[in-house]
Amino acid sequence: MKSVVTTAIASADAAGRFPSTSDLESVQGSIQRATARLEAAEKLAANLDNVAKEAYDACIKKYPYLNEAGQANSNDTFKAKCHRDIKHYLRLVQYCLVVGGTGPLDEWGIAGQREVYRALSLPTAPYVEALSFARNRGCAPRDMSAQALVEYNALLDYAINSLS
Amino acid sequence: MDNRFFSLFNLTEDRAIEILDTPQDLVSENDSRYIAASHLINFRTDRSIAALMRALQQTDPSLDNKIVRRKSIEILGRLQAADALPAIHGCLQDDDCYTVENAAWAIGEIGTQDPEILADLTKLLEKPGQSYRVMIHTLTKLNYQPAVPSISKFVKDADPPIASAAIAGVCRLTGDYTQMPQVVAMLQNPNVLGRRLSIQDLMDARYYAAIPDIASCPVSLVFRLRGIRTLAEAGIGDGSLTFAQIQPYLEQSLRDRPQDLKLVHSYDRVPELPALIRNLYETDFGKAYLATQTIVESYPETAPAALFAAYEEEANNDYGAHFHVMKIMGWLKHAPAYNLLVEALHNTQPQFQKSRAAAAIALAEIGDVRAIPELHKSLETKIWDLKYAAIMALEKLGDNSGYEILADDADWLVRAKAQSKQRP
Repeated sequence: MKSVVTTAIASADAAGRFPSTSDLESVQGSIQRATARLEAAEKLAANLDNVAKEAYDACIKKYPYLNEAGQANSNDTFKAKCHRDIKHYLRLVQYCLVVGGTGPLDEWGIAGQREVYRALSLPTAPYVEALSFARNRGCAPRDMSAQALVEYNALLDYAINSLS
Repeated sequence: MDNRFFSLFNLTEDRAIEILDTPQDLVSENDSRYIAASHLINFRTDRSIAALMRALQQTDPSLDNKIVRRKSIEILGRLQAADALPAIHGCLQDDDCYTVENAAWAIGEIGTQDPEILADLTKLLEKPGQSYRVMIHTLTKLNYQPAVPSISKFVKDADPPIASAAIAGVCRLTGDYTQMPQVVAMLQNPNVLGRRLSIQDLMDARYYAAIPDIASCPVSLVFRLRGIRTLAEAGIGDGSLTFAQIQPYLEQSLRDRPQDLKLVHSYDRVPELPALIRNLYETDFGKAYLATQTIVESYPETAPAALFAAYEEEANNDYGAHFHVMKIMGWLKHAPAYNLLVEALHNTQPQFQKSRAAAAIALAEIGDVRAIPELHKSLETKIWDLKYAAIMALEKLGDNSGYEILADDADWLVRAKAQSKQRP
């Protein structure tokens, strides 16, 4: 699993050298932020179901036209897809907080996923909208400390950016 | 093309264009330019294409705008808007790798032999941090021979899906298919995306010899069926294959027994039933199939009650677990699941579509002849795999009339199945 530490070691090893000052600085930076990340990871894990549910409920409320009845454009489609997949992405975000890098999202959520969505004509808009809501909804210190929220939001932005 | 989800947002063309044209900072809280761009897939008109091209010219680097640009490029590709090619060509130089990826993909959809565009695409293979699979796919699709040396550099790439795309690309461009078994081996990659993507490469390469391996690849049957169907259509079309040759593999995939898959995961000890049921929610279907097999083998008595409970609680709204619950009820031949299965058989919500054919197969496993008239209704749908599964299920229940009824079906594969049995 790719993390700041494994990346620094891998690049040093590839060049047959010891980790450089900048390698060590990036590892040090990651360790300094670890407390905040782990706080965010813990809070997210404790509230995963609520965060996911709130995200898609809010989307449906936010976009009135999603409420209109139709054939394939039923709310149920939107809700079920969102509920299942938003949880999956939030879980990967949580893993990234633990790892201290984007490895879990890169390897399990992004690499190839964009291709699969395109090939099967699956809509990315529900995920993007729901994750955007989750990002905008987080509040410090109500949900977590300000620093933890920075870490959490950065990973949500990363997921939104790479899915869209 | 599967267009079940295209009209998700129920906007008019005028409204979608209006939202897309609104400057990002003035968009109301209740609207989304990203959704508007996505929605224009429904309108193959000059107005929509012009609006998408205007969105493409908005280069504000904020994340909100960047994702709208990318989506606009993708939709222009889907609409095969040839007029947009010069603008999309310009996006190949963008700093954002996903914008470049979408542009490369859209060029492949629109199609071109413009040497400048193809040369620029090839140059991207030398640029770090790009989505090389997409570049390779587009160059191969457009049969750009000068790209062979650049693509060849990726055949031993550390990232298996990139190596797989490169091997398949070189094979197609040179006609030398000797390296294709390496792509077949990717069907057993521990990463589910690796497995899914190798099916795509085998499809693109028209590598018919892989059909048996695709049939046993532990991914959702949606990917297996898509691969087998595409290869069968091409192979039967060019005379390389017959329906009889692909039929066992197609039907193995439709039946979808976990023991017919080469699973890539294993347990070191048998998990408790609740843990196994949680695994039915896995997005990696390889893990869900392992859980299915273990439930059927280790918990045949206690599983049905636990599955009904899981269905009530959550699985009714999770399109993965919903599907697996139907399958397991069939493998357990659990007669009290009859009503649940009939409900799933007729569920028209698009995200539960694959549960319908699963319910047909499960009803046949249960062996309740009350299902016969219900399955007949499935023969009248437009969903090919459901109709095909209904013929199989009816036959297992002793009713062969599906063959006769669908002998002139609009779907070629259903028709081939229906005509495969000699009429009396």
